[in-house]
Amino acid sequence: MFISKGGRLVRRISLSVAAISCILLLAFSSIVVYQNQALSFSLYQMLPALQFSFFIDRLAAFFILIISIISLSVSIYSIGYIEHYSGDTKKNSLVSLMILFMLSMILVVASKTLFSFLFFWEIMALSSFILVMFEYEKKETRKAGIFYFIMTQLSTVFLLLAFIMIYNATGSFDIAKVSDASPFVFLFLFAGFGIKAGIIPFHKWLPYAHPASPSNISALMSGIMIKVAIYGLMRFVLFVLTPELSWGLLIFGAGVISAIFGVIYALKEHDIKRLLAYHSIENIGIILIGFGLYIIFSAYGLTQLALLGIIGALFHTMNHALFKSLLFLTAGSVVNATETKNIEEMGGLIKSMPYTALFFFIGAISISALPPFNGFVSEFMIFQAFLMSWSLASPMLEVLMIVGLTIFALTSALAAACFVKAFGITFLAAPRSEHAKHAKESSFSMLLGPAILAILCVVSGVFSYQIFSLLGYASLVPNLMIISIFLVAVYAFAFVSLRAFASNNTRIGETWGCGILSQNPRMEYTASGFSEPIVTVFKSVYKTKKTNHRTFFDKYQSIFREGAGEIQLFKFFEEYLYMPVARATDYISRRVSCFQRKDLDFYIACSFVTVLVLLLIMGWLA
Amino acid sequence: MIAPALLDNLIKVLINLILATAAIIIVKRDVLSLVSTYSIQSLLLVFVASVLYMENANVMLLYLALLTLVSKAMIIPHFMERIQKKLNIKRDVEFHYLSPTSALFASVFIILVVYFFLFRILGELSLSNVFFLGATVGVSLTFMGMLIIFSRKQTITNIVGYLTMENGVLLFGLFLTELPLIIEALIVIDLIMLTLLATILAFGINSSIEEFHARLNPFKRFAAFKSRLLNNEGEDE
Repeated sequence: MFISKGGRLVRRISLSVAAISCILLLAFSSIVVYQNQALSFSLYQMLPALQFSFFIDRLAAFFILIISIISLSVSIYSIGYIEHYSGDTKKNSLVSLMILFMLSMILVVASKTLFSFLFFWEIMALSSFILVMFEYEKKETRKAGIFYFIMTQLSTVFLLLAFIMIYNATGSFDIAKVSDASPFVFLFLFAGFGIKAGIIPFHKWLPYAHPASPSNISALMSGIMIKVAIYGLMRFVLFVLTPELSWGLLIFGAGVISAIFGVIYALKEHDIKRLLAYHSIENIGIILIGFGLYIIFSAYGLTQLALLGIIGALFHTMNHALFKSLLFLTAGSVVNATETKNIEEMGGLIKSMPYTALFFFIGAISISALPPFNGFVSEFMIFQAFLMSWSLASPMLEVLMIVGLTIFALTSALAAACFVKAFGITFLAAPRSEHAKHAKESSFSMLLGPAILAILCVVSGVFSYQIFSLLGYASLVPNLMIISIFLVAVYAFAFVSLRAFASNNTRIGETWGCGILSQNPRMEYTASGFSEPIVTVFKSVYKTKKTNHRTFFDKYQSIFREGAGEIQLFKFFEEYLYMPVARATDYISRRVSCFQRKDLDFYIACSFVTVLVLLLIMGWLA
Repeated sequence: MIAPALLDNLIKVLINLILATAAIIIVKRDVLSLVSTYSIQSLLLVFVASVLYMENANVMLLYLALLTLVSKAMIIPHFMERIQKKLNIKRDVEFHYLSPTSALFASVFIILVVYFFLFRILGELSLSNVFFLGATVGVSLTFMGMLIIFSRKQTITNIVGYLTMENGVLLFGLFLTELPLIIEALIVIDLIMLTLLATILAFGINSSIEEFHARLNPFKRFAAFKSRLLNNEGEDE
């Protein structure tokens, strides 16, 4: 469309149009969610059996609501953000692909048939792949892009297999109840959606693709694209298949593992976007825990607890979309201002970028699940469901629940620790590099986009009780408004009393200075320093190897000459899961490629042998 | 009217002769006799079709016999001979994957496999003995043609392989599936086009288009050899 022509104005207009349409969608989907009705319409029929038709019920509308909120704020943010890139063609293609990406996600969620689901799923995968490859000049980006492409196509393959099996069972492409599906359908669906959602051990593309892509794209991918996978899983498990207890256990187990490993891996990261990517894995884990609890409790007929689980999972889906996109957008602003992704080289940004810091802070509090923000509400609901699990009949399951609960609690605590690090090292103390020293506050649109999300984070936390009673689930959450009023009152009291009674003598010192005068940035607490104890505690997880070599001047080893120490992190999944598969593929393809010759006779001989063998087999079977 | 049993025996003899010609094509290294063997094979097919006509009195069979006689026993061999003369290839002694002896053993094996296969598939149709034999030899002939194609290096032998394959299809059609005349006619036109094209290519090499040489692998060696000969002559002079 406008890829080669058009300047800033065209991009502004198209992004504004996108934002306006997001607002319209937002209004529409909130009405559907509120009224709990179902809409369906057919758009275009390509072949008799293959048609694009859409169906929106409460679940779909809820996800459309999430997508439109995030798309709205990302569109606004992008108005300012994309101007940092060079080249009109590139910028325009970024805008157009981004809008296509948003649209495809909405249409995936709204799909009524398997065909249109898969079609838009693939559009979503392809457009996001091109967006990840946006800075294709860099070697890392190319690697990330290829990795992402392979994983995402693998996910489509699994989905295709599952869809074919569903089609065989029902004989139609409708997303409708299948009475007796084989368990493989579920496994394929789980693998397909799991890859896209980034469940461990299929998570590896997330920490590659997110840092490589532009920040607004990371926000979209982490905020909503992986949620579309969650939607797919929920839609197919609940509405197409009949969930079984073992499936619930599988989802629950995957959720627990993703949550704990996601946060542990996040702790050691110093690349701010990769850190956020690992947190996406963690939060997907939390969502899956809620969903798994729903299936487990439903299997035992505990509907109230099951409801708590699924509402917790859904609400966490929305919350994670809100605060993760918020964090990615603000991180993008920070990365733009400091021209580095390494948080070790940031610092002190709260002075130069106060609003960005504030929004990041709100996101950090939300993701750390501190009351009264939204992350707290959804995690609290899942915790409640866990704590009530003593009413389960099976003692084995109870033990499992308690193990899950402890891991989940550990996850929350570690997430908080991780964001203390992320916020503290990035924004507090003194700048640790030239770029950080000269960072400037972002432009208006780059503040407005995150601001919307930040406000929603606060609103959906504080007014969660009111929101839920509006939707008809009043008894699930405590009224956080009272708590927040109380909290604000305490803060106000403390502030006023300090203001009134503390001494007014101002003493000017440096942050974290410990009284040392003339301190320099190297003396500050670093990110590595902060996470070192945790890395040591979890060294069996990281498979860290600490080595140091020392040489001495004398033979009694008392006068130190020089030494080198290093900490190596062993990439477990890469070494044991991804690389063997890659090597096997490589091996097979090398073997197969010997069939590829510039020799016609050989091909004829091959087909000759094939036909002969087929004849033999047919003769045998006949 | 000739007794049907005699006719049956006649057909059996003819089919065995066809098989023998195929075997000869597989082992022969002399290009000229390859082409004449092929035309004999086609002639035998003509006889088979005529004998079948005597049994069935189906006019279609007569037409088929006529078509085969004109195209495969006369026109195509004629073109082939012209190519052969023009290119001056007398012998084809290069083999791929299979030597002539092992190719012969392979074709025995093929006949057994095809027999086994057809027996399993067509067993319940309870065909008469002759028809079963005809179908078996027809399919085997197709395979033997394919075997010729990939085991020989000279293009002219490859063409003979294709032609043999088609004869196999015709034989199979005569006995089992009642190949419609129109399809047979189309196949014959294809074959004539194939030989024509081969002829044009062969003549094209003699003309001055040098680029052709690099593209046609089997001819290239020949062309290089020829140019070397020419150069040597030039030096001698």
